[in-house]
Amino acid sequence: MTQRDDMRPAPTGFWADAWSRFRRKPLAMAALLFLVGLMLVAILAPLIAGTRPVLCRYKGRIYAPCLAYFSRSLEPSIFAKDRFRGTYPTNLREKDPDSWAIWPLVFQDPYRAVRADEWPGRPENPARDEGRPSRLNLFGTDQAGVDVFAKMVHGTTIALLVGFVSMGIAGTIGLIVGALGGYFGGWVDMLTSRITEIVMCIPTLVLILAMISLLEKPTIWHTMAIIGMTGWTGIARLTRGEFLRLKNSEFVMAARAAGAGPVRIMLRHILPNALAPVLVPITFGIASAILTESSLSFLGFGPPPPTASWGSILNDARGNLSMWWLVVFPGVAIFLTVLSYNLIGEGLQEATDPRLREARK
Amino acid sequence: MASYLVRRLVLGLLTLVVITCVVYGLARNMPGTPLTVQLGETDPSRKFNPEDLERMKRIYGLDKPWPVGYAQWIGNVVQGDLGRSISRKQPVTTLIAERIGPTFLISGTALLLAWLTAIPLGLYASARSNRLDERISSLLLYVLYSFPTFVAALFLQIVFAVWLRGSGWELPLFGMTDLPPDAPLTARIADIARHMILPVTCQTYVGLAYDSRFIKANMEEAVRQDYIRTARAKGAGPWRVLFRHAFRNTLIPLVTLLGLSLPGLIGGSVIIEQIFTWPGMGRLFFESIRERDYPTIMGLTLMFSSLTLAGQLLADLLYCLVDPRVSVE
Repeated sequence: MTQRDDMRPAPTGFWADAWSRFRRKPLAMAALLFLVGLMLVAILAPLIAGTRPVLCRYKGRIYAPCLAYFSRSLEPSIFAKDRFRGTYPTNLREKDPDSWAIWPLVFQDPYRAVRADEWPGRPENPARDEGRPSRLNLFGTDQAGVDVFAKMVHGTTIALLVGFVSMGIAGTIGLIVGALGGYFGGWVDMLTSRITEIVMCIPTLVLILAMISLLEKPTIWHTMAIIGMTGWTGIARLTRGEFLRLKNSEFVMAARAAGAGPVRIMLRHILPNALAPVLVPITFGIASAILTESSLSFLGFGPPPPTASWGSILNDARGNLSMWWLVVFPGVAIFLTVLSYNLIGEGLQEATDPRLREARK
Repeated sequence: MASYLVRRLVLGLLTLVVITCVVYGLARNMPGTPLTVQLGETDPSRKFNPEDLERMKRIYGLDKPWPVGYAQWIGNVVQGDLGRSISRKQPVTTLIAERIGPTFLISGTALLLAWLTAIPLGLYASARSNRLDERISSLLLYVLYSFPTFVAALFLQIVFAVWLRGSGWELPLFGMTDLPPDAPLTARIADIARHMILPVTCQTYVGLAYDSRFIKANMEEAVRQDYIRTARAKGAGPWRVLFRHAFRNTLIPLVTLLGLSLPGLIGGSVIIEQIFTWPGMGRLFFESIRERDYPTIMGLTLMFSSLTLAGQLLADLLYCLVDPRVSVE
């Protein structure tokens, strides 16, 4: 067994190092925890709020009707055949006295108002000014009487997906465009830099509104794609700079001498080294994508009505400002999510950028 | 210098041509035309009959494919004619001239207020770096920075226009003025100022949060330089070091930031103007997209993108002007 002759700690990888520094930032860690919590809410949404049982036994078999909230095709066909029409509590009891069911924590639906006696002994949801927060409607109800808490719980998926999907698209485009320009230089760089500049100069909202207006029936996926297709310029510029800097470094020359092709050099050698600085604008980009989506929904350019998005609840409030609960709850949710991504982005920046680390000393 | 300017200007013109071409193509391919969208939605009986529609399309030049329309549009622009708005029956230049004042009133005031508060705040933050009070104030600014404008606008509307209704603190919800144009001037100014408070607040806090963070980051960079150590070593006091040595050197990036805020100054904010129904450029743009008013969309796009390009050029030129180490070549 060999003995280490100096007292230096065992070398750790760059990311392990960054993680240990990130972990020491209480705000960034709190933000990370908050986002993990949001993800849980998004995944478990049908268990938290819904009018379909999580699990039920009906005519001798066990079903999970709550899966219908993820996709209508997952609703067991027997309930359609037995004419449940989405109303489970009374139907279950009437059509099979031996049935049992485990219900979500909150019996409220994100897509429609709960009717009177749908759950034995419970009144119907109030609507309009009457719908202030109460024990049955934690965050109140909207103009049509739909529960805001249920809408928000089920809208969490969209808020999170918007960030990941649109920045996934933007990150991919930005990395490819920036890598090509930075690595090859010459006319390729000329072309990619021009394209980046043009997209940068068109006001983002102009581009997004124009592109959404092109579609007859825009869905939330279109919105995400469009936000992604307009938000890559900053990432491209940064990637280009990193590739420019790294393409003449020794390890790249060594790889080239060893016979690696340009694609391999870009993907295997430069990209891992350029990823850390690029990750920071991507995180901030997620925050601004969420903001963009909710402001689009707020302006009435969001997904069509049945899709519950936090921004569209805010839009509902514009018609009647005395319904403050339509502003406070979704507004705070959007704010906290954006803040979390910004805090994580900043934590990431400080954990991975050696220049900032020096400054702290 | 001259050749640099010429090169930038030619490149900028090319960029403008590509941008307007893309936006024109997008606009013309949106479903509906300015002739069908508005009338058909409000009142089906007022829809044009097919012959009238064809005639109108010919008058406005909408019967030709969009590349031809674009060529015509750019030909007119070169001659200084931005065309006439289809839905408002006015020249686009008149529309822009009407809206530019109100937008500038909001964004200019907001920009001024933001800078006036951001500079002391940024300096304070770097002077008290890493103390408890600085950390708290920086965190608060950070929180403000992440606060969505439209949520803040709605909060302010609820508090000042709904909850405080009837009290002396009530502020108007919408629009620019409630008084007729023949009201006395002082009353009108006071009324417009009252209408401005909420939108200006919304626009200021975003800029303030961003600018003060920007100043602080630049100050931290400057404080680490050797000349600061020299200044300290020769016995300059902490405030003197901060103002005379560090802050004056952070003015360079500030100048670029100023250049980049040029398009926002005149372009306005779609969201704020939309929430407060402020008759400015952002709202005009939003409405023109909904009405498929191609000439207005194009006029505004042309203006926004030339301002963005001009702002970038201005930032680069100012940078050379204030920093002798940098040259354009």
